[in-house]
Amino acid sequence: MIGESELVALIEPLDAEALQRWIDLGWVLPHQDDEDLHFDSADVARVRLICELHYELRIEEDSMTVVLSLMDQLYAARRALGALTSAVAAQPEGVRKDIAAAVDQRRH
Amino acid sequence: MADPYQILGVSREAKSDEIRNAFRALAKKNHPDLHPGDKAAEARFKDIASAYAIIGDETKRALFDSGKIDASGADVHQAPPHGSYRQHAEAEPDFKYDRQWRGGAGGINEDLFAELFGRQSRTNSRGANINYSFAVPFIEAIIGAKKRVVMGDGKALDIAIPAGLKDGQILRLRGQGQPGFGGTDAGDALVEIHVDPHPVLRREGNDIYSTVPVTLGEALGGAKVPVETVSGMVNLAVPKRSNSGTKLRLRGRGVPSKSGAGDHVVTLEIVLPTSPDDEFIQSVVQWEAKHPYNPRKVSGA
Repeated sequence: MIGESELVALIEPLDAEALQRWIDLGWVLPHQDDEDLHFDSADVARVRLICELHYELRIEEDSMTVVLSLMDQLYAARRALGALTSAVAAQPEGVRKDIAAAVDQRRH
Repeated sequence: MADPYQILGVSREAKSDEIRNAFRALAKKNHPDLHPGDKAAEARFKDIASAYAIIGDETKRALFDSGKIDASGADVHQAPPHGSYRQHAEAEPDFKYDRQWRGGAGGINEDLFAELFGRQSRTNSRGANINYSFAVPFIEAIIGAKKRVVMGDGKALDIAIPAGLKDGQILRLRGQGQPGFGGTDAGDALVEIHVDPHPVLRREGNDIYSTVPVTLGEALGGAKVPVETVSGMVNLAVPKRSNSGTKLRLRGRGVPSKSGAGDHVVTLEIVLPTSPDDEFIQSVVQWEAKHPYNPRKVSGA
């Protein structure tokens, strides 16, 4: 976990005002106790990504909201699929084969 | 490694903004965080980023063009790793960014599992945030205010406008969004505040600007004139021999802030009488005939 000023110092194009705006918009969700904000490694990676999308790829605020929303949905879906896949993998071989056959049938 | 010009699809003579645009277009199509699991896109993105690291940088481009570094020359100086967000977003089982959006991105998948296993959706997701927007008068945004506002959806919000609020600033009201499910926290209300313009006052940073009309006599002879400021009327001392365009600074009468309040800068504007009589006109014209001056001539020109 790192604080707000450390994060701003860590990521080059970032300034405190932009970070505050992204937090206000709900793009970044730091942990908060009293007045202090704490960013975990996922928050840092996310801020880095938003910086890249904004400063390098010039995605502006309105579009960014759409991009992040779709991205979050994509990852949520991938994690759900991952959970399902590992649950299937833990089944006996006969069950796995039945499921695989049923999935193939629907995909082709 | 392939030729960086070829990778970005630009000519060797391309201008730097042409290269930048080509990079942006390709990077958007192939960014690994936006294409999780697509190995081909990831590989393409690496090539695109490496190519841009060379020919997107004037110095390295010159070195590359003159054959002093090869196409992999920039690999050593790679910028922060691209695509690291994905590791977090895919690894953490109950990822907080799932529930960021109205309804919650996680909700989609909960429905999927509910259907699959014939059970109720897991009811632990925090309520969604609600976005609101409303406008406040100019002065309230400067000095701060507390107000109760009824929003379009009928929800009444008690909003504390902080002193010095900027146009477009968002206030987060914790727990004022959609209720949570199964005893979890409600979401937040995100209120975007717009500041109405003021007929006289204008804000730049923490300073306030206004123009105040004065008579010819007030400007030349000096006067005290009442001036509207963010903290009410103030008597401004106009010094003798002032002119149209003279700027006077009211220290500390600007926007309050942690680092001390800004100033209010008043620009004087001399206004002649609306219907000057012959006496006034003659005296000015006769004076000018004796003391000609050219206000359009720049001094020293």
